[in-house]
Amino acid sequence: MSKEALFKEIFQANSKKIYHLCYGYTGDDDIANDLMQETFMKVWQNLDKFRNQALISTWIYRIAVNTCLSHLRVEKRQPKEELTDNIIETKGEELSEKNEQVAALYKCIAQLEENERIIITMVLDEVPYPEIATISGISEGNLRVKIHRIKQKLTELYNRNERF
Amino acid sequence: MKDFEALQDIWHNQIALPKVSHEDVLKKIKKTRTGLATKLLVEILGTALFSAMLIYLWIESPFRMWTTHLAMFIFMSCCLYYIVALIGNYRRITYDNLLDKPGEYILYLKKYKHDRFIFNTRKYRIYSIFVTAGFILYFIEIAFVAALWITIICIIFTFLWIALYYFVLMRIYIRREEAKLEDMIQNLERIEKQFEDS
Repeated sequence: MSKEALFKEIFQANSKKIYHLCYGYTGDDDIANDLMQETFMKVWQNLDKFRNQALISTWIYRIAVNTCLSHLRVEKRQPKEELTDNIIETKGEELSEKNEQVAALYKCIAQLEENERIIITMVLDEVPYPEIATISGISEGNLRVKIHRIKQKLTELYNRNERF
Repeated sequence: MKDFEALQDIWHNQIALPKVSHEDVLKKIKKTRTGLATKLLVEILGTALFSAMLIYLWIESPFRMWTTHLAMFIFMSCCLYYIVALIGNYRRITYDNLLDKPGEYILYLKKYKHDRFIFNTRKYRIYSIFVTAGFILYFIEIAFVAALWITIICIIFTFLWIALYYFVLMRIYIRREEAKLEDMIQNLERIEKQFEDS
């Protein structure tokens, strides 16, 4: 398989999840697209090194997480309040009821800590726990505890948000 | 009241999709790679061209004094040093640090910051001393062949420029670069702490 064909296959298999990760992290559609693009540029540049790895998605997540974290290098993260307002303002007009729920979910995700946001988007995308442990560098035992806590926190935030 | 499974359903129903296709990524890769390569090529070619001009000047000009030859040798050495430093920077730029763990990336940045500081202070001081010495040696012959006022103007202009660069511009440059790197390191360290097992 040519490098381009392989890249296309990898892109199609992973881009949606990586986009969700970046969107969950930044809460901004344009920045999420930029970060996803940057992630896949790194994937392309290093494809030869990793083409024989069984879990290429773990490797891509790892790059995406580092890309999101390194995003801080060039642009200071917006305060959470601004971030959440941004989601609502920019998306407000085009929201259907279903999308409203998605926007509310992203709004809640944006209120989590940075590492919590990354972990929960992977959980929501049903990435296996051992893979999340490898990506985030946390032992599986501790990760389970952490995920349990983040799930509770997110559910509380969502329900509280829904009441108002 | 919704439980986490309900939130997961909402998540899977989202229609937010990336606007970037794999073709867009490939286009950008080609553009970025070309851009980076072109920039470095221009710098390397520029330095090489300047070196070639110096060599030509050195060979073709009827320099009579050994001091001028020594000045030329110093200038050439400075050019060579710059080219080597350029290649070193290129290698560091192309090192894909994002593939490492954040902790390693922080160490990489700290090392880079330290090296840059050494380069911009100690090494630049030595570089400036050599360039100044080169000009002093070069102006000895100029003083013999040109009018006195031309020599004085040349000397004043050259050393004012070196002093301005060394005492003002370089310090601003170092301060800005240091602040930028420190900001990057602090941000990454803050994030890294959040990933530690608690």
